[in-house]
Amino acid sequence: MAYNELIKNFERIRSYMREFYVYGFKSREEYTVKSTRSYDDERRRVESWLGDCMSFHRTPDGKNMFISIDSRVSRHNPLYKALKSKSFTDGDITLHFIIFDILLPNGEAKTLHEITDSIDKNYLSSFSAPRFYDESTVRKKLAEYVKEGIIKTEKKGKTVFYRRAEDTELNCPDVLDFYSEAAPCGVIGSFLLDRTEEHEDHFAFKHHYITQALDSEILCSLFSAMHNKNEVEISNLNRKSEAPVTIRLVPLNIFISVQNGRQYLLGYIRSNRRIRSFRLDYILKVKELGAADDFDTLREKLTGMHKHIWGVSTQGGSERTEHVEFTVHYDPGEEFIYKRLVREKRCGTVEKLDENSCRFTAEVYDSNEMIPWIRTFIGRITDISFSNKEAELRFKNDIRNMYDLYDLNEE
Amino acid sequence: MMIFNELYGVYYNTVSKIIKAAVNKKISSDEMRTIIEKYAYSESLLTIEPALKEKRWQLLRADGTTPIKNPPATPLTDLQKRWLKAVSLDSRIKLFECDFDFLEDVEPLFTEEDYYIFDKYSDGDDFEDAEYIKNFRKILEAIKLRQPLRIKMTNRKGSFSEECVIPEHLEYSEKDDKFRLIASGNRFCRTINLGRIISCEYASDNIPESGISHDSSAEKCVTLTLSDSRNTLERAMLHFSHFRKEAVRMDENNYRLRINYSKDDETELVIRILSFGPTVKVTEPESFVNLIKDRLKKQQSCGLF
Repeated sequence: MAYNELIKNFERIRSYMREFYVYGFKSREEYTVKSTRSYDDERRRVESWLGDCMSFHRTPDGKNMFISIDSRVSRHNPLYKALKSKSFTDGDITLHFIIFDILLPNGEAKTLHEITDSIDKNYLSSFSAPRFYDESTVRKKLAEYVKEGIIKTEKKGKTVFYRRAEDTELNCPDVLDFYSEAAPCGVIGSFLLDRTEEHEDHFAFKHHYITQALDSEILCSLFSAMHNKNEVEISNLNRKSEAPVTIRLVPLNIFISVQNGRQYLLGYIRSNRRIRSFRLDYILKVKELGAADDFDTLREKLTGMHKHIWGVSTQGGSERTEHVEFTVHYDPGEEFIYKRLVREKRCGTVEKLDENSCRFTAEVYDSNEMIPWIRTFIGRITDISFSNKEAELRFKNDIRNMYDLYDLNEE
Repeated sequence: MMIFNELYGVYYNTVSKIIKAAVNKKISSDEMRTIIEKYAYSESLLTIEPALKEKRWQLLRADGTTPIKNPPATPLTDLQKRWLKAVSLDSRIKLFECDFDFLEDVEPLFTEEDYYIFDKYSDGDDFEDAEYIKNFRKILEAIKLRQPLRIKMTNRKGSFSEECVIPEHLEYSEKDDKFRLIASGNRFCRTINLGRIISCEYASDNIPESGISHDSSAEKCVTLTLSDSRNTLERAMLHFSHFRKEAVRMDENNYRLRINYSKDDETELVIRILSFGPTVKVTEPESFVNLIKDRLKKQQSCGLF
């Protein structure tokens, strides 16, 4: 099939873009999931969409493509462009602009026959080889637009009339500039920005994980299911298996990290009565099923568990928790360390021991999740204790290994 | 409700601009190309122009006129309305002067009950504070007007200061949940936390253009080696993904990662690298290696073992 800049299915390009952006060291030969032809096409598309953000380096194995973006400098997420690449037919685009020229704002509602007739007589007749749209094709397109909410129907007797949905617009580009980056499913804000007049934007973003854009469709489907209090079936990849696994669950909440760029679905699996987390970037598909009558109760249960969740690990919602405590020392004038602990403590508590030291304690489902954060206090930890002794040993061994790594063995 | 839908696509948007330019007049090939180059992808010229000229998309006649009689516009989709409704319920929305009355009957796509940012710092700005809102709006207006501001603020130690700056833009950190004003024209005051501002007003001071410096974030570079154990590769690559970076595989299990960062963020980067433990090692520059070593040496003196 000839190369097309647009694509029908987002899933394949989603994984390529993640590889280019997050990793960026693989050679062409390593993209073995599909053929090399497929790799060449996907790479060409991403280059066409992202232009300046694409770079490459040469290695003995060939040319490795990668995407490099400083999200603090880039005012708008460039990855959104990928979500604006859905293919369509020649007939679709022609019909789209004609339909909305027939159904004018505040204009009268029209029947299918009137619309089809007008397409022919008022628009296509001026072409030497006009397209022909039968009523069935026009009806299908109108039905699509009714589903999207941009066309409304009304019945008079047995006849269906179509009219354009009310035209409304948000006349506030600052809101769109900000929330298209700062709100979940921000790409929708980017769609809205495409409708606005050109303007200067005044917001930049720090600690901004733009890769989440690639999971927008999944996130949107999960929000929809939660709004409807429905169960879902997800097709999920995990690190242990190549093939996706289908899991039925009640979606309860989306946990978002602003420190590592991951997003998770927290959901209840009936078959084993556990609340588990699933990374959104590993979910390939979401299918909305029927109502979960106990949605509110389950969500309440999850909310009650927050006091023991450090990251996303729930241990299935069991009663068992692990105790973690550590003490940090700071010099006079380093009061900011205490403040740092207080603002970063999440479900833990911080207690001042004296003028120059304080203690952090927490009861969590999984103390392993806390270790990376505790390491950020290296240089100040005077005492540490985990009820999970394996985790404590690992933490201490890691510190020793870091001394080795930098040739700082204690004599 | 699909996000990946041609209605929101670059092609529909570009063709809409072309038709708008052609309503009631002829559009030239050059005009058409300019629009495509501006709004579509870099290779779109190869598709959009021929599709219109060859009449596969019957929207432009041979003479450059269009049968479309009105500038194209489509109403907002339900998805767009529902997202806007969700935004209208966000706690930060009061910072903006915006009317959402037209969404009265619309269900939000999500609410703050549907998601939870679990690692956001707890001392974020108070976005509902009347003074904060007033300052935010004043600053945003001053940025648009490029009007110098005289800002009274408290510093970290709690003492007062007053500075005159040219406001450049607002920077929001999701992790800190804070806004900062990025300013120029005053080399002692390039970043101001909005939460520390007591008041701000237009300044009559004439800040000389020559005093404006945009070099508020001198860029530096650090090189790390990663060993791919405990899923470090995936974690580190994603964790540092918001920086400009470049990764190279050195052998089966080892990778080299070069990260470009702002000098202002160096301390933060040191502790973020430490958080990976022994699976990440800083190799260059020596000055950064020493920053890590200093922390480790200090830890050795803490008597943990």
